Order: sequence, then structure tokens, then C-alpha cells
Amino acid sequence: MTAPVPALLTVSGLETGFGANQILHGVELTLARGRAAVLLGLNGAGKSVTLKTISGLQPAWAGSVDFDGRELAGLEPEDRIRAGLGHVLQTKSVFPDLSVAENLRLGGAILRNKQRFAENLARVHDIYPLLSDRRSQLAGSMSGGERAMLAVARALMADPRLLLIDEPSAGLSPKMVEQLGGTLRKVRESGTGLLMVEQNVGFGLDLADDVFVMEKGRVVYRDTAENLDRSRVATLLGIGDLLGAAAGKARPRTRAARPAPTRRRGVPIRARGAGGAGKANKATA
Amino acid sequence: MKVRFPTLLVTVLVCAALPPVLSRAGLWGFDQYHALILCFGVTYALAALPLNLLIGYAGQISLGHAAFLGIGAYTSGIIAGRLGLPFTLGLVVAAAVGALAALVIGLPALRLRGLYLALVTLGFGLAMASMVFRLRSVTGGYAGQAVPRPQAGTFVFLRNADLLAIVILVFGLVWALDRNLLRTKVGRGFLALREDEEVAAAFGVDVPRYKLYAFALYGGLSAVAGSVFGHVVGFAQQESFTFDLSLLFVVIVLIGGLRSRPGVATAAFFFGVTPRFFSFLQGWELIIAPAIVMFTLVRHPGGLGQTFAEVRGLRGRKAKAKGATRTDDDESETAHASLVLPRPASAQELANTTSLRAKADGGAGVPLEVRDVSVRFGGLVAVDSASLTVDGGRITGLIGPNGAGKSTLFNAISGFVRPTKGRVLLHGTDITDLPPHRRAALGIGRTFQQIGLVKDLTVTENLLLAQHRLAGYGAVPALAYLPGVGRGERDLRQRAEETLHALQFERFAESELRELSHGQQRIVELAAALLTAPGVLLLDEPSAGMSPAAAEALAERLLQVRDELGQTILLIEHHLPLVLATCTTVHVMDAGRMLTSGTPSEVVTDPSVVSAYLGERVA
Amino acid sequence: MTDVVVTGIAAGAVYGLFALGLVLVYKATKILNFAQAEIGSFATFVAWGLITSWKFPWLLGALGGLLVAGALGLAFERAVVRPLIDAPRLTLVVATIGMGLLLAGLEFKIWGASPRIMPSPFHGDGLTLGNVTLPPARLLALGLTAVAAGASAWFFRRTTFGLAILAAAQDVVGVRLTGIRLRHLSAFTWLTSSVVGAAAGIVIALSLGAFAPTFLNGIMLLGFAAAVLGGMTSLPGALVGGIVVGITQAVVSHYWISVAGLVETVMFGAIVAVLLLRPRGLLGRLA
Repeated sequence: MTAPVPALLTVSGLETGFGANQILHGVELTLARGRAAVLLGLNGAGKSVTLKTISGLQPAWAGSVDFDGRELAGLEPEDRIRAGLGHVLQTKSVFPDLSVAENLRLGGAILRNKQRFAENLARVHDIYPLLSDRRSQLAGSMSGGERAMLAVARALMADPRLLLIDEPSAGLSPKMVEQLGGTLRKVRESGTGLLMVEQNVGFGLDLADDVFVMEKGRVVYRDTAENLDRSRVATLLGIGDLLGAAAGKARPRTRAARPAPTRRRGVPIRARGAGGAGKANKATA
Repeated sequence: MKVRFPTLLVTVLVCAALPPVLSRAGLWGFDQYHALILCFGVTYALAALPLNLLIGYAGQISLGHAAFLGIGAYTSGIIAGRLGLPFTLGLVVAAAVGALAALVIGLPALRLRGLYLALVTLGFGLAMASMVFRLRSVTGGYAGQAVPRPQAGTFVFLRNADLLAIVILVFGLVWALDRNLLRTKVGRGFLALREDEEVAAAFGVDVPRYKLYAFALYGGLSAVAGSVFGHVVGFAQQESFTFDLSLLFVVIVLIGGLRSRPGVATAAFFFGVTPRFFSFLQGWELIIAPAIVMFTLVRHPGGLGQTFAEVRGLRGRKAKAKGATRTDDDESETAHASLVLPRPASAQELANTTSLRAKADGGAGVPLEVRDVSVRFGGLVAVDSASLTVDGGRITGLIGPNGAGKSTLFNAISGFVRPTKGRVLLHGTDITDLPPHRRAALGIGRTFQQIGLVKDLTVTENLLLAQHRLAGYGAVPALAYLPGVGRGERDLRQRAEETLHALQFERFAESELRELSHGQQRIVELAAALLTAPGVLLLDEPSAGMSPAAAEALAERLLQVRDELGQTILLIEHHLPLVLATCTTVHVMDAGRMLTSGTPSEVVTDPSVVSAYLGERVA
Repeated sequence: MTDVVVTGIAAGAVYGLFALGLVLVYKATKILNFAQAEIGSFATFVAWGLITSWKFPWLLGALGGLLVAGALGLAFERAVVRPLIDAPRLTLVVATIGMGLLLAGLEFKIWGASPRIMPSPFHGDGLTLGNVTLPPARLLALGLTAVAAGASAWFFRRTTFGLAILAAAQDVVGVRLTGIRLRHLSAFTWLTSSVVGAAAGIVIALSLGAFAPTFLNGIMLLGFAAAVLGGMTSLPGALVGGIVVGITQAVVSHYWISVAGLVETVMFGAIVAVLLLRPRGLLGRLA
């Protein structure tokens, strides 16, 4: 038996917060090489904060982030980027007063080798031919979807081994989302690891090999996309009802489809605490 | 720290009486020289308080402080000197001129923030110093304008100790005004607009008007300080009111600790007195003092005020509050808080501030109607012809994927965003063109995703702020703390106490809001929003950051609020079980448009809604 | 009239240099650097000391002054700016005020309050254009400004580091995520701003002939006016603003010489007007 290949990213016991508010309460996740993972969860569960803590924008209070055998805790974001991380923020911001070419140039700023820079630039232009045409256009004058493209392209310029990307589909038209999905698939196929946060569950599940669901600062459910317990995930996301309805109408898919659980209208809320199921059902009448 | 008014009055009178007595009795070698130094010290303290008010309370800035001091000094010189009128008149006229000048600056300030405001005040200060204060006709040119000693009848305050008594009295007066301010809605309004103008407006604070109040008060009080300065020095001269002096006062206010009256007064006193004491240091003081300033800023940013607070804190009061758990234990908090419901203001109390509420029960149209509202930001269409109605006494939900435009629509309803098209009607009245604070006065309450409270204020102060539009007194009486004001405050305070009791949050009463956990802050925010019994309450993702169990408890609270108070609620939510549990009607938005509406169960099984949330592939 | 304008341009070149330093710091930190004048003044004294007391050749003495200014800027950035990076902007502004006062105190202590004469390295009377003679110091100022303009145009658009500084003014986090170290950018900004201020100070001392502690305070305020006019976020705007201020000053003091303080008033009235009507100035982009 061959020695186990070390994971690309191992996060353990990650804790952080703002002032008196603790947001992450011990996040644990592992991403193997060459795989893509999606981080799901409700608003406020700590998904974006997790990405920011991995890339160093948010200082961690405790825990470790092991990236390809190297401990990142305590390193500044700049050093983590130099170690091979890339991070596209939710805002997908670009430098609005600089041109497309200048944005890309900054993206590849840490590359010493001119050759590598040229190669990466060519690759980026290949994935996004539009950027090649609009080299001197001011980034701020581009549309939202084009800016999103540029943001991802800029991150790719440094040839990261792991790309962290926060809600890639947010704010994009369906066509752009489709296109972005294609790009991310290509990125994944080229061997770059991918860890994304997503609210659009379908988009996330489609791209990912592994799924992590967060709640209140912890990963409460993890599995591969193939073996996913969809109803559990849906309940955690508070959209159980939607997924239940969808499951009844699901088309056959390449992944093994679980049989749709029968659901009656109005899902009972877990009875806990002083509340009780009785009151909950009252509202669904 | 609350000093009772009689104590303040007695202290000031005693302090004012002391110097003349000491001086005449010849005690402690207290002579003209000492008295003059003290005059400078107290005058500096007097001059620093208005700047602290502007920067520390209202969050505005002035780099032209010296100009306002100069205005006061020159005015007094003209009134008391050239025209021979009583010095008290000089003080009053100076205050008026100063306030007027400040309004001239303040009006453009309404649109400018931060740096640009600073530059405008800088420009004003310099223009005054370089031109106005040099005009011979107005101010006697370079030679300056003499400012004679105050005179009461035939008695002239020639003794420095007697002058000191006057200075102390004026200082006491301004200190009292400042303190009264903070104990009333005016001060809270300032602090609110400093923290977040939107939150302030949502509570009914007329932000533009309050900014003007702040400037007028600043200008008036600074001019009074300048008058006193003129009397102390004996003349008003262009060189006394330079840019450097303006900068010095900004330094003083920061070193004293923003908002800390004792800290700022002490720091100012020190700066006023020490150049005379420390001149023996032969120039070293010019190096040591700035070094101390920079060190303080980096290491001890709260300045003297922080030091004072820490000393007070050692007496255990804060320690007790800190002992209160700040756990993320949302579940126990919301599950066990028996009632998130304070007794709301009675209908009579509200009648005079919200004329529409009397109509409310008569049912002049649905409580809230949104007609064809569109909102564009530049080229981006955030909301596209959205329409919805909210029924009275019910909870209505607004759901949709991220970026659907829900928050923008909320902002359009509450007045923080102007629709490019469409109308918003509250009980049949068109409120589309009203600013947020007017809508708050008419009965729209809302919460914010980022907790719409003032983090620097205590929990109690926040609950008082929430009742801003119910405080039954005006801004001017507030300054003098007339009896009606005291009564009004007592009512507000009582309601705040009842709320704390209902929430079982008494132990947090004097804690700063930021010391509470997110969940606890959210509870306080909800209670604050309910406190004024708004006609329509807009809740912006109230369960964000809560676990499903806590959200469930929240749902029960909301149902209680609906059933027991008849509260009308419009709710943005991501957490569908909460929506299902509480809402009678649900509207769905996607990509700026209204997708569909219906009962919760209808909406949840609607295929278009499903695909909006889960993407095309799943449906 | 042209003579007046030419004189104004020559004077304005210096204001533009000063403003360049101010805008650089503003773009990076969003604050007004009230220490700019005193850093320049201190450097001028150092240069003067090196040239007169230590008998350095003029150029070396001047360079020594620039070096000291750079060191002061770096030290300030490290000890004060970086710890206060998340503090309210007002705190940092007051820290610069403190720095200015500290340096002024040191100047008074070390060199005293009496004016000093800055020796001139030039021989000859300078350049004569029509009715106007531009003394060598003014020519130096013009030359320096031209060099500064050219250098910044090249540096900020052509080098990655320069681009990063521009980018940092737009999106600090974005720059960090490209792996470029923020502290290098910050240090560079303050270093350059100090050196530029020092260069302006030395040249002004040359023009005036004599100088004393805090002699640059008035110029700093004109520098602010220039920066505002040009747009606080625009580097070329700073230079253009400086020229405009210089011309205005020359024109006003030529034709209305008898009215005391008119120049300053006009200048500052202009600041107020610009901020109210067009906050982004002549060339700036965002308000």
C-alpha cells in the first residue's frame, strides 16, 4: 500500500471572531489534492469568515491551517498568497481605475519569472478571450459579469495551487453563471484545488467533489457530493421544503439519485426547548 | 457618572467664590500672577468643551476652532470696548455671531464628510485669520481690539482673582449645558448620528437638522469661550487666533479622550497653564509635550478619558457587567427570555407625534403598500417594478436568493433609497418622498442586518434613543433641562427599565452594547424597535447568525408579538422554517423582480421559486 | 501680465511639489499629513548644517538633508502610522500634528529661532525671459518639478510597484491578495512624500535666502490648496493645482498688493468653493 498522499489543505480547530463576538468555533475540514469542495451554510454561519481566516485576512484566535505540508497560522496574507493560495472575495472587486492589463499585471506581481508570467497571461486569455480584447479598458467601466471574470483571472495569474472563491455565482446573470461554472471546471481540471463558498446550492453541488455544511461556526456535516444526504443538507440550510419539492420532480442525474422522501406540506420544525411543535404548526395552516 | 444638578451648582459657586476671597485674605500667597495663570487654564478648558461636543458627540470636525474663538473675542471687544455696553451683552452677542458663522459652515457640511469637511473648516479658519481679523474697520487691524475688564455697575473686575470667578462661572454654565445635552434626546441624537446616520434616521433623528444644531451650539459656545479669552488677555489680535491654535485644540480634545468632559477639560487646563509653568524648561517642553502626545495616541488612544474610566471601573461597576455571560448561547437566551415585549407607548402618547396612527385602526388602506417600485443605481437595476401589500396585524415574508433586491426594497420602503419609479404608501398616505426620519415618525420601524443600534452607548441609552420620537420635549428646552424635559426623560427611562426587566437583561443595563454577544444585541434591537409600537415593523434578516433552534424560538416570539400586540410585520428572511412558521403571506423576489406571492406552503412548492434558489439544474 | 504669470508658474512649481507629497500620503492613508512642512524644514536645517558647519559640498549637504527626511518619514511610518492603521483617521491626523510640533521643537532647540542664510551653489543671475528674471533657485524648482512629474508618470504606470501603490488607494485588500506586501507600499509612500517635501523645502530656502524654524507652514497651507484644487486623489492634479495656486498668488499680490491677507483669503475661499462645488477638484476622479 502506498503512503497516503497528504491533503492539500487541512484546517483544524479554527477559531476566530470580531471583538467579543466569536464567529468560528473550531472549524475542521480537509481537502485532498485535485478535488473541488463547496462550503454551504446559512447566512452568518461563518463561511466567508472561514475563507478569510484561511487566507489570513482574518486573524485566527486558535487552530491551524496546513497547506500542502506548511503551517500557515501566523503568516500574513501576502505570504500565504506567495505560498500558493489564491482568494477571490465575495465582492469580486477589481482595481477600478486601472486597466484590465494593469489588473492582470498586479495579479501576477509575485512571479519572478517573465516566462511564467507570459504563460499565465496566455492561459488567462485563453480562458477569457474577452479580456484579451479589452486590455486597456478601465476595469471600473466593465459590467458586473465582466468584472467577476477579471477578478477570477487576476487570481489565476499567480498560478495558485488552491483557489478560494467566495460565492462565485452571486450577482451574475444565469448565462454568466454558466460561463463561470465552465471556467471553474477548467481550473479544476488543470489540477488547481478549489474551495468555494456558495449560496446557490445547485451550482455548488454541480462543481464540487466534496461538500461541507457549516452552522454557527462549525462544520456540522461533510461528505462527498456523490453520497450526499440531500435532505439533511437541505434541512440544515433551511430550504428543506424547497429541496423536498424539487426532489419530487428531479430528473435522473449522473450521480446516484436518492429516492425523494415523501413530505407532507408544512415541514414540522424540530421540537426543542420551550417552544414545542404545536405552535409551529399553527402557522402553516 | 451623574452629578446631581444642585451639587454641580454648589461646586461651581464655591469654586467661583474661592479666588476672590483667597486673594483678599492673602491666603496661600495667592496673588495676581497665580490667578491669571488659572484664568488661562480654565479658559482653555472652556474653549475645549465645544470642540469636544462637535467632534466627540456629533462626529463632525473643525480645523478652524481659532476662528470661532476670535469671533467671540472681537465681538466682545467691540460690544464692551468700543461701544461700552455690558460685558454680559457682549457674551450673548458673541454667542449669536458665533452660532451664525457656524451655520454658514454647517450648511455645506451637510453634504461633506470627513476630510472634506475638515478642509472647509480649515479654509474658513484661515480666511478669517488672514482677512477678517485684519480689517481695520471691523477689528482694529494689526493693532487689535482692546477688550476691557468686565464691569458690573461701577465695580470693575480688575483683580485677576475676581475675573477668575467670572471665568469659573461661565465654565460651569457651559459644563452644565454640555451635561444636560447628554442626558436628553439631543445628546443621544448626536451620538447616534456620529455612529451611523442611517440608524439615527431610522429612530426618527432628523439628521440634517441635528448636524446644524451641533454646529450652531459649537459656534455659539466657542465664541463665548473666545469672549472670555479676550477679557482675560485684554485684547484681541489677529496673531492670537492662528491655524496653530486650531490644531492645538484638536490635539487637546483627542488627548483628553473624545467625549470625556473631565478628560478634555483637564487636558485643556494643562495646556493652558503649563507653558507658563514650564518655561524654565527652555524649549525642552516643546519637544517633550508632542512626544507625549504621539505616544498617547499610539499606546493609549482613549486619552485621559480612558484613564478616568479605567479608574472608575476599578470600583467594580463594570466588573459586574463583564461578569455577565457573553456566550454565544443564543438558544438559552431566546428560549428562556420569557417575553420580548415591553409595554408599548400608550395610544395617547403617540397620538401627538404620529397623527396617522389614529387613522390606523380606522383602516385607511392597508398598512403598507408598495406600488411598482423600481430602483436603479447607475446602470444597474436593483429592483424592477416591485409591488406588494402588507396586511395589518399579520406577518408578511419577503424571500429570495441573495442579490434578489430584498434589502434594496426595504431601503426604499424605509426611505434610505429613492425609487426611480413607483410609490410607497403607508395607510394610504404617499410617503415616497419623505426622508427616513419622517417615515419613522409616521410609524415605520426597522432593524438592520448589522444590528441597528449605537455600539458606543449602553443598552439603556440605546433603549432611550429608540424612543427618540416619543420624547415629549423640544431641543431648546433640553439644553436648559427644564422640568418638562426631566419628566419626559423619566417616562422614557421607565419604559426602558420595563423592557430590560421583560427581557431579563437588567444586568446589562449599564453595559456598552458592544459587550453583548451578537444574539443578545439582536434581542435588544428587536425590543428597541417594538418599544415605540411602530405601525409597520420591517425586520431585516433577524435570524442571521442564529442556529435553527434559536431561530425557532425567535419565531415564537414574533408570533407572540403579532397576537398580543397586533403588530404588523414585514420580514426578510433566508431561514425558511422561520418564514413558514410565522408568515401568513410570502412574497418572492428574484433578480429584482417579484416572482410570485402566496401562502408559505404554496410558495415553497412553486417550481419557479425552487429553481430561483437552487439553480436551473435541480428543478 | 505674462511676467506675473511666469513668476507665478515658477513659484507654483514648488507648491506643486509640496502638494505631490500631500496627495501621495492622502491616497495611501486618507489623511492630511500636517507634518509635511516640518519634515521639510528639519531637512533644510540639516542640509544647511552640513554645508555650513561641516563644510560639505552643497549637493552632498542637500542630499544629506533628503536622507534625513527619508529616515524621518520611514521612522514615522513604522512607529506611528502602522500601529494606527485601523484607528479613526482623526487620530492619525493628530499624530501628524504631534510629529510636526516635535520636529519644530527640535529645530528650536538645536538651531534656535534666529533666521539662517542658505548658501547658494549657483553663480550667475539666472534666466531672463522678457521682463522677468528667474533666479537660479526658481529654475531649480521648475527643473525639480519637471523631474518629479516625469518620474511619477513613469513610476506609477510603468512599474508594478508603482501600480500597486495606485491600486492600494483603490482596494487595499485586493493588493494584499496579490501577494504584494502592504508594509513595503506604506513605507515607500511616506519615504517619498518626506523626500519630496524636503526637496521643496531646500529649494524654497534657496529662493527666500533666509529661513527659520516653521518657515514652511504657510507653504504647506498653499500646498493643501493646491492639492484640493487638483483633486486630492490625483498626482498630476497636485502639480497642476500648484501651478494654479502660484499663478493666482502672483496675480493677486501684483494687482491688489495693498489689501492685506487678500491672497490667503482668495486661496482659502477657493478651497471652500471647490470642495462645495466640485469636491474632486480639477483632475481627481472620486470625491
